[in-house]
Amino acid sequence: MEATVLDSWVLAEFETPDVLVDATRQMREKGFQGMDTYSPYPLHGGSEALGLPPSKVPFIALCGGLTGLTTALAMQTWMNTYDYPLNIGGRPLLSLPAWVPITFELSVLFAAFGIFFGLLGLSRLPQPYHPVFESEAFRTASTHGYWLSVPHATGQDAAAVIDQLKALGATQVTVVTGEKE
Amino acid sequence: MTPAAEAPAHLERYTGTPKLMIPAFGAGALGILATLAIFFLTDAKGAAAHSYLLAFAYWVGISVAFTIMVAIFHTAKAKWLIVLRRTMETGASVIPIFLLLIIPVILMAGYLYPWWPGSPLRAGITGLESEHLAHKEHGYLNWPFTLFRHVIYFSVWIFAAWKLRGLSLKQDTEGGLDLTVRMRRFAPGILPFLALTITFASFDWLMSLTPLWQSTMFGVYYFAGSFLSAFCVLTIVTTMARGKDLYGNVVTTAHFHNLGKLMLAFTAFWAYIAFSQFMLVWIANIPEEAPWYGLRIFGAWKPMSIALFFGHFVLPFFVLLSRNLKLQPRRLSVVAVYLLVIHAVDMYWLIWPALTGNKGPSFDPLSLISLVAAFVGVGGIAVGFALKNARGNYTMPVKDPYIAESLRYVQP
Repeated sequence: MEATVLDSWVLAEFETPDVLVDATRQMREKGFQGMDTYSPYPLHGGSEALGLPPSKVPFIALCGGLTGLTTALAMQTWMNTYDYPLNIGGRPLLSLPAWVPITFELSVLFAAFGIFFGLLGLSRLPQPYHPVFESEAFRTASTHGYWLSVPHATGQDAAAVIDQLKALGATQVTVVTGEKE
Repeated sequence: MTPAAEAPAHLERYTGTPKLMIPAFGAGALGILATLAIFFLTDAKGAAAHSYLLAFAYWVGISVAFTIMVAIFHTAKAKWLIVLRRTMETGASVIPIFLLLIIPVILMAGYLYPWWPGSPLRAGITGLESEHLAHKEHGYLNWPFTLFRHVIYFSVWIFAAWKLRGLSLKQDTEGGLDLTVRMRRFAPGILPFLALTITFASFDWLMSLTPLWQSTMFGVYYFAGSFLSAFCVLTIVTTMARGKDLYGNVVTTAHFHNLGKLMLAFTAFWAYIAFSQFMLVWIANIPEEAPWYGLRIFGAWKPMSIALFFGHFVLPFFVLLSRNLKLQPRRLSVVAVYLLVIHAVDMYWLIWPALTGNKGPSFDPLSLISLVAAFVGVGGIAVGFALKNARGNYTMPVKDPYIAESLRYVQP
């Protein structure tokens, strides 16, 4: 039987968002990678401090919007000119102005689907289990705590990382180890 | 530390005007004289009159849009824009000069509006249509009531602009939160009046060129184009204001990003309004309404209608989607200049068909000269007057309690 490789993270809580952002930036400058921040509300300057690449969501939204646009135009063209042609007040069967509202709505709908499901997919949600859920202290991340997670190689001593986080102003530090999924 | 103490201490009152102001006034006076000369000395009276109306409606629209913009931002209690607010207030403060600039419109009104007393255009309206026109003239399109409406329009605009700018200038010396509170109380109260006056002004100036046609959405159409143009002017001015003692030095890319987003939003808003108006008329297809669009979407005006759809919506919309572009002031300003040009084309498309009908756009020299002369004329006077008003004041509200928050604004 193969030994299960466990993942491990050092979690640190900070008092204010400013301290968290500052600590994140300094940890990244020291060479730590794959970090993430957790806060009860969107964090100003958080993604800059993590050095995240530009989001892919806008591109997915654009693709969704263009898919909606072509779907709507194709659907209405097929239905109104071929499948069930209907003379409405003598207007031409191919009446583009009349189709714009549906085209617009479907573009918006598909773009919104793109944003919603694209974001879920990119964030790998929904996530039914994660070892960090076992940490009682980490629950403050959804009320009043500002947290930083730093991945660290399993089996190695986390003391060095813990010391650095404490030097940057962490009020409490825990190590979480477990299987991600 | 109080917020005011964090504001840049080196900022002085703005003095560097004459280099721009004198040429602006000079070009303005020349342009207006040239337009009037064409009107009084040549046969191209219609072209001169319509050119002047285009220029007038274009520039006064931007100025009123600035007033509405200031009022909206106060109503929303927005803080990020405070560093840009003085420029909006200066743009709004130009309105009184349009009381002078409307005089040529009145002089030439006979060649613009068939309902104007003694208009030679009246001969073109015959049969049942003349009875419809007489009906409209009885209640609304007569000069005493039109004059009365204009008194109300200009009173509301000048009062709103004067009040909002006056409180803001007072705050430059006094500081304090109570002036902010007064501005925030005044703004939402005046907004409905601003909305109604710009709507009815657009009816009077532009829609009544074709007095038998009506669209309740027309005011929003005019507002949408003017509001978008006001954001464009704001972007250009802010990009240019990087010199000594100017606020451009402290404006960040986050502010430009927001201006770009607002330009994108109002490009889409213009398209939404324009299409809604068109589709309602097109789908109903009733004789009173359809000819106005029929003239524009078939025949000689068709290329311009298609060009407007792509040039005023599709192209700027997709260009402004780019995040990188919105973060670069100079490139964003290029888009802003383009949008200002296309807004002029849009106004031409609204106004000129009333003059030439199905003959399409005019390319004869006198029409082109009067278009340029009137545009530069009204624009030059308006810009010169704005620079005169900017002179001697700070280029941003230096003692606004929230100026520090505005200066360190970052994207949420």
